[in-house]
Amino acid sequence: MADAKLIGALAHRGDVERQPGLSITLKVVTGRGMIDLRGNAADAKFMAAAKSAIGVALPTAPRTSATKGDVTVLWLSIDQWLVTLPREKLTKTFAALRKKTEGMFALATDMSDARTVIRLSGDGAREVLMKGTSVDMLAPDVIQGTVRRMLFAEIAAACHVVGAEPDVLDLYVFRSYADYAWEWLLATARSGARVRLYGPQDIPTT
Amino acid sequence: MLLITCPVCGVEGDETEFHAGGEAHIKRPATTDPENVTDEAQRDYLYMRKNPRGIHFERWMCARGCGKWFHAARDTVTMEFKAFYGAREPAPDLGGTASPKAATPRKTAARRKKAGGA
Amino acid sequence: MTGKPYRLPAGVAGGTMGRSIDRIQRLSFSFDGKTFAGHPGDTVASAMMASGVRLFGRSFKYHRPRGVIGSAADEPNALISVGAGARHEPNLRATQVELFDGLVARSQNNWPSLNWDVGAFNSKLSRLFPAGFYYKTFMWPASAWMFYEHIIRRAAGLGTAPTRPDPDTYEHMHATCDVLVVGGGVAGLAAAQAAASTGARVMLAEETARFGGSADISGGTIDGKPQTEWAGSVAADLAKADNVHLLPRTIAAGHFHQNWCLLLERVSDHDPSLADGGAPRHRLWRVRAKEIVLASGALERPIAFANNDRPGVLLASAARTFIARYGVSPGTRGVVFTNNDDAYRTALALTQAGVSVPRLVDTRANPEGALIDLARDAGIDIATGTAVTNVEASGGGRNIEAVKVAPYQHGGRIAGGEERIDCDFVCVSGGFNPVAHLYCHTSGKLRFDETLQTFRPGETNDALRVVGAANGTFDLADGLKEAFDGGIAAAKSALGASAKSASAGKAPKAASEHEGALEPVWFVPATGTLNEGNKHFIDFQNDVTAADLELAVREGYRSVEHIKRYTTLGMATDQGKTSNINALGVLTDTLQSPIPQIGTTTFRPPYTPISMGAITGTKTKRLFQPVRRTPPYQWHLDNGADFEPVGQWRRPYSYLRNGEDREAAIKREILATRRAVALLDASTLGKIELKGPDAGEFLDRIYSNIFSSLKIGKARYGLMLNEDGFLMDDGVTVRLGDDHFLMHTTSGGSDRIAGWLEEWLQTEWFDLKVFVTPVTEQWAQFALAGPKARKVLEKLDSNIDFSAEGFEFLSMKEGTLAGHPVRAFRISFSGELSYEIATPADYGMSLWTTFLEAGREFGIEAYGTEALHILRAEKGFIVVGDESDGTVTPIDLGLNWAVSKKKPDYLGKRSLQRPHQSAEGRKQLVGLLTEDPQQVLPDGAYAVAQVKDAPPMDMIGQVTSTYWSPTLERSIAMALIEDGRNRMGDVLEFPLEGGEVMRAKVVEPIFYDREGERQNG
Ligand SMILES: [Zn+2]
Repeated sequence: MADAKLIGALAHRGDVERQPGLSITLKVVTGRGMIDLRGNAADAKFMAAAKSAIGVALPTAPRTSATKGDVTVLWLSIDQWLVTLPREKLTKTFAALRKKTEGMFALATDMSDARTVIRLSGDGAREVLMKGTSVDMLAPDVIQGTVRRMLFAEIAAACHVVGAEPDVLDLYVFRSYADYAWEWLLATARSGARVRLYGPQDIPTT
Repeated sequence: MLLITCPVCGVEGDETEFHAGGEAHIKRPATTDPENVTDEAQRDYLYMRKNPRGIHFERWMCARGCGKWFHAARDTVTMEFKAFYGAREPAPDLGGTASPKAATPRKTAARRKKAGGA
Repeated sequence: MTGKPYRLPAGVAGGTMGRSIDRIQRLSFSFDGKTFAGHPGDTVASAMMASGVRLFGRSFKYHRPRGVIGSAADEPNALISVGAGARHEPNLRATQVELFDGLVARSQNNWPSLNWDVGAFNSKLSRLFPAGFYYKTFMWPASAWMFYEHIIRRAAGLGTAPTRPDPDTYEHMHATCDVLVVGGGVAGLAAAQAAASTGARVMLAEETARFGGSADISGGTIDGKPQTEWAGSVAADLAKADNVHLLPRTIAAGHFHQNWCLLLERVSDHDPSLADGGAPRHRLWRVRAKEIVLASGALERPIAFANNDRPGVLLASAARTFIARYGVSPGTRGVVFTNNDDAYRTALALTQAGVSVPRLVDTRANPEGALIDLARDAGIDIATGTAVTNVEASGGGRNIEAVKVAPYQHGGRIAGGEERIDCDFVCVSGGFNPVAHLYCHTSGKLRFDETLQTFRPGETNDALRVVGAANGTFDLADGLKEAFDGGIAAAKSALGASAKSASAGKAPKAASEHEGALEPVWFVPATGTLNEGNKHFIDFQNDVTAADLELAVREGYRSVEHIKRYTTLGMATDQGKTSNINALGVLTDTLQSPIPQIGTTTFRPPYTPISMGAITGTKTKRLFQPVRRTPPYQWHLDNGADFEPVGQWRRPYSYLRNGEDREAAIKREILATRRAVALLDASTLGKIELKGPDAGEFLDRIYSNIFSSLKIGKARYGLMLNEDGFLMDDGVTVRLGDDHFLMHTTSGGSDRIAGWLEEWLQTEWFDLKVFVTPVTEQWAQFALAGPKARKVLEKLDSNIDFSAEGFEFLSMKEGTLAGHPVRAFRISFSGELSYEIATPADYGMSLWTTFLEAGREFGIEAYGTEALHILRAEKGFIVVGDESDGTVTPIDLGLNWAVSKKKPDYLGKRSLQRPHQSAEGRKQLVGLLTEDPQQVLPDGAYAVAQVKDAPPMDMIGQVTSTYWSPTLERSIAMALIEDGRNRMGDVLEFPLEGGEVMRAKVVEPIFYDREGERQNG
């Protein structure tokens, strides 16, 4: 019988890592498992159960993330987190989460395939995003680890600042919109359309 | 383009990051006593809305942020937000802060007069 | 059209003239097909004037010849179209278009040609074109409009739109800053420098390619340096700073609530080769500024005198600009006409450049001051207490020969005989108007300043400061101080305590000639009669004259807002930049009341027109709107899918194989489902998980039927009503665990319903403990339907028992299938034996092809949405949005079984009891069979009580779904018909367009397998 194959939302784009004519690098992050976790942050028992299952304490400060080893937890709301981890660890961690939160007011769902993660890296990555979002990605509080949900190019998205200087930004979009988001990024990241906001500029004519 | 602050997660952003939900503090009569809701009460609940010149209490949702509903007080003359507060909180008293132009509408004043004369 | 070359020699005035152009390099461009030359740094206007061209277009109504008046955005006459074919852009101001090699420009409003002009007959007949011409003409007879419109549109000069798709790219950019400075003149530079010194993030938008504004034509010094030198060093510092963003070639088009601004950056108009590297043509900036400093300067206004529109009459500051910046003189001999000191600088600049100034005409009786002394010292012939009263021109008004001047008395009277002065151009200055457009866009109200005789900004609710000339502060030193202080204050207000104060620099110190007061002059009576009467133009672009305004007043108009609309004053693309205040000035005489009482002037966005491309931005072609793809999308694409939009999703409507048409494909797909097995991509179905101790109770309140009693592993179809009691969504919900449910919604409703559930939990039923997580995107979901569906599944390796006994109808199982993790449901929307199988989305493509491979021996087909709809219609299943339209209750649809009588409350329950909604005889769902089985009723056809020869007829209902059924080989339809359930067996009539009437019998809304045995397999 045929083998079950995992095929991502952007597989049809072929080798997506080499994109000539772009001012930044775009690539698809694959191999991650993702768990959407809902629970009451004020419930110490739930927080402890989650921590022991995931290995990382859930961040409670808005728009932050917590990372330990290869597990990262993104804050999505006051009662919602996105746990990302290597896909191999997913089944075990997901089972542990369900077990440890059993009987509690909590909901863990496997959302590993619900989102496509597009990584934007290089100088100017924030400005490329700002062509599609009104969120100020250059604000001083947008630092390594920051998570910002946003309306991006008219779709729901979240940006996780994986690294700063040079910028590494993971853009989370829902799977069905991945091709559209990719097309948008190809259009707005063209080298000739580069915008370097607040950076040094050529001496202007007077 | 209004600038809105979510009182739940603290995010500040353009109105396109939020979802407007109309007038706030409307009670759903069926929630408390489903058997005894008059046709008039149901009509008022469904359709009767305020359209004030001045402070309007309204519902917003942090659609692209934490996903939570909250309340806001907005001056419909200046478009200025006077307060953002939780979805379970009562309307704040904004007595002196309404825009100077947003004085009591004539209709209300007339009605008061009539009541006074009766 | 040609004349003498007017480019001044390089050596004139110590080489100071023409500072913006590179005289060594030459550029070639064309205007109306004729080739011209210019230099880098030129505008189309300056290069053409250098070539001796004065005639740029014809006026809107009278087709009078027109030339350049201004030097910037205020230019009302020299409108040109630039670019050819699809790149053609009309209505650009020649004074703003930067020259590049190969530029192609055309004049506008020149039909049939610029030089030979049939429109000029309008000039001879100008009595037919008075104020209100358009209103009066087109009121009667109405039928003549078509005729008039045809002629007037062709002769009117607003250019033509390109007809082909725009080949250029555009984009949007968002930015947030502490201080947005609008205007890159010396005031804007000072404000930006001040704000930046505090550490604030500063953006500085300048309309032109260069910073410094009027620094090069204004004299005076800043910090001991010439203005241009100071501007150069400040601009260079700002460019280097890492907290400043300079935006040259950028207009601030609009200011909206809470300091949100739209800026248009013309990125590559000046150098189309940039587009080859991927640069957009225009970039629309959406900027949120904590504070705004408006330093947009001022625009000179003309004075209305007879024939003041002749080509060669231009603003004094514009003449000075052409000389200083481009080394171009407007002519060889120019009279300067003024009511203020500033124009003396023009007379001095002309003299310095070796251009003859036969007379400086000043309306003031006794002007005094440094500039007047300088002019006298330079030997300029000054006539005080004098005004220009008429302009004499030859060549159909194209060539100025002389002006008439006469003694002028304060208040506007001519008190003596005229004198003729030979000249070929006239520089005019009536004072300056602050450019306060942005101040007005949200709420700012301008107030009249008696000293300056103009409107200037007053109070505002916004975090916006107006500085320098834009605020009416025309003195250089005062304006700079105001700008610097404004920049500091704005930054401090934006930053609060985090502002760096120690590093704030010192305000620049400026020195310039003190200027005396101006004399208000709006209108100079004519002496003599020249050409076609003595028109005093107020609005050049719309051809509104002082006489038109007076006529409007005579006809009873009093409000300036009405007069504007009646005369079309200030309504053209220039939005009254040169005309608004002058019009009020003329009206003040006519209405005999002071300007502030006549009314004010206000401005609406955009400041200057912005391109449609920029508004669209990236959202064209493939990015026109977000499009959603399901996991097997690529398979659909490769296998003939004929896609249809369902919300933002693209779903296969049918799969066209080997040149089939839609009808044949749909028939093949349906028959495969009824006779063998077929596969549907149902991934778009909304899926929502709900969990919490109150999940059952919550569903009981959300659905009209009961869910709390559902057993684990079982599924139930439910209806959702809105609070009005009307059907809103439907779907099957499954109980996964004690406190855990999985809800299915319609494809279109998935996001909306998730929001609906959250809203009730967050804003009404605070006490209910339920978490709601939308999981639509996580799952691919396919319906495997048909008598052989089970055979396909049983071929595959699985730990799920798919047998009839092991897997009951309306139940759910989890497991693996051919290595794919799956959730399997036994539900049917086709009426056949059917399983819906969900697998994580990344497995979707793999499971899809696995089914097709396994089903090949049974004759499996993929089917699309149209087959899906016909299959369900054959079974009489409703579709929300077809059988319901927001005014239909479940009772109307005969779904009483799904409306609980027991529950005290659920959404919509109370509204269902309202008199109208519980009344007898409402429109009810019925089936229809046409008398002629070959006839298919049109979708939406109306049934009438009685057919008449012509409408109106009493309508009793409408068709909601109608199809040719391949299964039954006849047409079927469903309809909502008044009192429909009591009309079973009746024949209804449906009058159609063209007089045809279709007749159909009312039947139960189910056409196939009434007993429902097929779905049990
Ligand atoms: Zn929020």
